Amino acid sequence: MRISEQAKQESRARILEKAAELFIDKGFEDTTTRDIAIAAGLAAGTMFNYFPSKETLGMSLVTEALHTGIGDFHCRRTGDEELSEELFLMINSGLRRLRPLRSFLGPVLERSLSPFPRKNVCQEGETARCEHLKAVQQIIGRHGFTEAPDYVAMTIYWSLYLGILAFWTNDTSPNQEETQALVDYAVRTFVQVISGSEKEALHGAE
Amino acid sequence: MGQSDRTATSHSLLLKALPKDPAMDPAGQRLAELVNGIAGKKVPVSSFARIWSLGSLNARLTAGYFAYWLRSLFVGQDERQRLKSEAHLAAALKLFGTMGYLRGAVMKIGQLLANLPEVVPEEFAEVLSALHFEAPPMHYAMVREVVLDEFGREPEELFAFFDREAFAAASLGQVHRARLKSGEEVAVKIQYPGIARTIRTDLRNFRLLLQPLCLTSDWQNTLDKLADIEQMLLMETDYEQEAYFNEKARELFTEADRVVVPQVYGEYTTKRVLTTDYLAGSHLDQFLSRNPSQDERDHFTTLLTVATFRAYFQRHWFLADPHPGNFIFMEDGRLGLIDFGCTRIITDDEWELIRDLERAILDRDEAGLNRIVATACLFDDPEQIEPERLDVVRRGVCWSMEPWLHEGLFDFGDREFFRRGIDNLMEMTRKRYTRGNPLYLWSNRFIFGGRAFCCRLKGRCEFRKIYMQELAWVHPDAAGTKENKGC
Ligand SMILES: Nc1ncnc2c1ncn2[C@@H]1O[C@H](COP(=O)(O)OP(=O)(O)OP(=O)(O)O)[C@@H](O)[C@H]1O
Repeated sequence: MRISEQAKQESRARILEKAAELFIDKGFEDTTTRDIAIAAGLAAGTMFNYFPSKETLGMSLVTEALHTGIGDFHCRRTGDEELSEELFLMINSGLRRLRPLRSFLGPVLERSLSPFPRKNVCQEGETARCEHLKAVQQIIGRHGFTEAPDYVAMTIYWSLYLGILAFWTNDTSPNQEETQALVDYAVRTFVQVISGSEKEALHGAE
Repeated sequence: MGQSDRTATSHSLLLKALPKDPAMDPAGQRLAELVNGIAGKKVPVSSFARIWSLGSLNARLTAGYFAYWLRSLFVGQDERQRLKSEAHLAAALKLFGTMGYLRGAVMKIGQLLANLPEVVPEEFAEVLSALHFEAPPMHYAMVREVVLDEFGREPEELFAFFDREAFAAASLGQVHRARLKSGEEVAVKIQYPGIARTIRTDLRNFRLLLQPLCLTSDWQNTLDKLADIEQMLLMETDYEQEAYFNEKARELFTEADRVVVPQVYGEYTTKRVLTTDYLAGSHLDQFLSRNPSQDERDHFTTLLTVATFRAYFQRHWFLADPHPGNFIFMEDGRLGLIDFGCTRIITDDEWELIRDLERAILDRDEAGLNRIVATACLFDDPEQIEPERLDVVRRGVCWSMEPWLHEGLFDFGDREFFRRGIDNLMEMTRKRYTRGNPLYLWSNRFIFGGRAFCCRLKGRCEFRKIYMQELAWVHPDAAGTKENKGC
């Protein structure tokens, strides 16, 4: 049993790896699940046991990257960061992990993270969203906020974040440097909203 | 202090500081309203960091001075034309407001305006260049992202030590101290992400908006100068370019010269990051606060003169940004030179012209001087230059050459001397005699910047002797024969 569990993990990892390669090579739309199954050396039917759709596959890549990004963030955090700085660090750690996938992420993110009501909510997308927001809540908690931000604040945050992702997938500047400036601004805006003051957001301006 | 109190205070500060038009707007109220209106929240900005745009008093002041000058030029226009001009002005100002989104952009615009005496009268230019623009510095998380993008490693991996706090602000970023793994203490200048691109688009749009205004008969010449400034600003955004100039400058000096240009570490340098030897020492203010002796003052004035002449004769360069932050008074008496981002290369044609000018003055060749001045003022036919223009411009040229003709110690601390130069520049501006090769923007900045520095330093040096020595390096037989005949 244990061996087969390990084999399962390996197959899953192989499928993800091959899918990423194909998506990057041929684009998301032009890659079929069949292509992926063949590349991973699996029967199409077997692959469906792992990933029911191409969308799930794409979003699983995102979720894993973002998960790794949160891990990076914890390692990189020095503990001296201001609130906005820490949020900046977390968002950028995620983007850095997503970067290799950037060329095909537009349609994936659009389908899996859309904030509008959908028939099939993408489970992977939900996982990514929850994990990200949880990390945000923790960061906010660390900076002396006694109460968790309410749904309004978190909706504002998530809208900003989706906006950043959308901008980033389209950003043609070198190393997406314009996104970095956008993240800085967005995060300051958010901190200003939840702290009700400009001081925290503009810290260091004077 | 509450929000509205703060707004009121800043409004009254603005009112106090803005220029007043005795006839149209004696209290400066209308101008302040115009600027505050533009600074209001209604500007749609495609770019992100609006919180900084025109938010600061300084930024609004800059806009105010600019508006003041532009409006004064509408006076002679008919109603229809004036309305059109005002619309363009408002658009340009709005854009201008958004350009302040980072320290660098506003600072650069302030400098840009201060450099165009015909855009900003000289007395305003003084105010502008004295303004200190501040924007939020990059926090360390942002610095790390830039370093990681440029080098694939975190600052603390790349360097043996990296100070998370910046020790100085740069116009387009900030400077951190660090230590290389090989042990050298370095200064790492890091550029704000995206600022180069922003400046590029903003400047282009700014020029396009000004283009149709055509406010003076010499407008095309103003636009040419603007293009020259644009070129220089863009150069400043590229630290690899700066590194190149830095290295070329470094080759000019030996140990014996006592002038130090820090070494660039190419491995740790990219378009956005510049790593150089850290030069320990003080800036002008600190130096002066220790009440240095006259000998020390003269010593550094001499080094500065040697350094600029050397770059001038050997490289045909104007170090066009001689602001005090770029000179370091080192403990052991050496002079540190940093920041070669704003180096204007003199083209061969321009070089011919200024050398002719110098020769005409040194040889006391009146007719030749008049001819060259006319050419420099862009008159095809030297006969066409108005006598008054000729007189004013000539006086300016002679003023800038005075130290060249003076035997023995020249005292740059003589305020009366400096004042005469400024008065002449103001007269030229007032009379709109500023038409000329864009090079003069930089030579002016070089001369006035350098002399203002030495004036504050109250320094003296054997200027003419240094000139002869430095000239002899490049033209072994050219120097030393000319008589000092005065001008
Ligand atoms: N190698 C160095 N050693 C010591 N101090 C340095 C060094 N490089 C930069 N600095 C400090 O950082 C400041 C800004 O650096 P620098 O002049 O190169 O930046 P800049 O972007 O060209 O700014 P500006 O246009 O305002 O001159 C300097 O005034 C100086 O105080």
